[in-house]
Amino acid sequence: MKRVEMSGWLAGKRARIEGDSPAIAAAFEAAGATLVGGEADIWVHIAPPPKVKAAHELTHAEWRASLDAGLDRRFLGARDFAASCRARGQGGAVLFVGAPEQALGADQAAAAGALGNLTKTLGVEWARDGIRVNSILTRETGDTLGHLAAYLASDYAAYVTGAVVGIALDD
Amino acid sequence: MAVPAHHIVATPPPFDVPPYPAGIFAGQVVLVTGGGSGMGLAMARAFAQGGADVAVMGRSLDRAREGAAQIAALGVRTHAMSCDVRLPEAVAAAFDEAEAALGPVGLLANNAGANFPVLAEDISPNAWSAVTRIAIDGTFLCSAEYARRHIAAGEGGAIVNNSAQYIWTGFPGDAHSAAAKTAQATMTRKMAADWAPHGIRVNAVAAGFFPHATSNAGQREGGIEELQAMIPAGRTGSIWEFGWLAAMTCTPLFGAMTGQVIVQDGGESLRRSLIMPDYVPPRERADGPWGWK
Repeated sequence: MKRVEMSGWLAGKRARIEGDSPAIAAAFEAAGATLVGGEADIWVHIAPPPKVKAAHELTHAEWRASLDAGLDRRFLGARDFAASCRARGQGGAVLFVGAPEQALGADQAAAAGALGNLTKTLGVEWARDGIRVNSILTRETGDTLGHLAAYLASDYAAYVTGAVVGIALDD
Repeated sequence: MAVPAHHIVATPPPFDVPPYPAGIFAGQVVLVTGGGSGMGLAMARAFAQGGADVAVMGRSLDRAREGAAQIAALGVRTHAMSCDVRLPEAVAAAFDEAEAALGPVGLLANNAGANFPVLAEDISPNAWSAVTRIAIDGTFLCSAEYARRHIAAGEGGAIVNNSAQYIWTGFPGDAHSAAAKTAQATMTRKMAADWAPHGIRVNAVAAGFFPHATSNAGQREGGIEELQAMIPAGRTGSIWEFGWLAAMTCTPLFGAMTGQVIVQDGGESLRRSLIMPDYVPPRERADGPWGWK
């Protein structure tokens, strides 16, 4: 496949990426974003996929760890990010990235389902703060994930908020 | 009521700064159904910004020609043609005509549709058939014609469908379109599965309100100003950002994406609170926004 530029989608934007996705980090830098550890215009949270276990074999500690990473940390992080945007009087973009709802165990099903409706809720609740909130729920880890993440974080997606998007057929 | 000045409204880059390089579709032909005006024309112009030649299909040849002229102004080849997308033979003939004029159709954008607010009890069998079959049968017939040609040639491809933001909630006062637009979204997922082995991707954009010259509310006296404030994003959509997202799903940038329905509506379909204005049945709000008197 030929290499395609993202035409400076994120030029001048500071992005804080929490979690691990080489494709997203590479795409954000290629799109012109500066990756930062502190104050940012974009906050991306990538949750690691939990191990697949049948529900009756999950301990409560395992269940709680999945929900902490897949839901609670995301809400609290988004809340802090939105507060900092409001304090600066500027809009921003939140992007949650993780596995699809039914792809793994019941812990993931709970976390991703909650996250999807949280995305829809916060996208509207913070709309007039100029803060957009979207999710990518997929098992894909390649270039399309990076490009889609960069698009959703960019002003090109200014009219996309509260959206939960997949990539592959079974996402 | 206007959007208060202290609210922050996110806005897209202007039309002349597309999100992809000018040559991203170079050497490819896109066929856009209903491409002569409105959202189809916006899709067509977005593809043209990426260098695609455009076959513009419309029920009215005059309107297709008018759209084609606007698309050609972006520096690509165009061909305008008339087609009733409800008729399989007409669809096959239109593909032949497009390929004779411009070359093999590499990409397909299904936009053809009709829509007008009307009470369910006032939808005649003819009106029901027109609205549902243009969108449902038309999208099926054009997509299947496209897929048969690509599968026979051993070539992958990409299709994008124009769906709507009201597909998961219903749209009281617009029953025919509510049914039709959801069918487009749900067939998107299944066609994507059917044609994934052949490298044909199928995605849809569930679009919110993007006013244009031929949209119902675009004709409102006093314009769209009062409609901006009811949308969480604080504005209606700019039609080129819809065109861009539709075209983007067909680029190599999103090369692994298929079977997706992307909602682009400024949060409109998600607006909800415990306290809302009193419910007014459609037949008692004919004069309000989205009314039809």
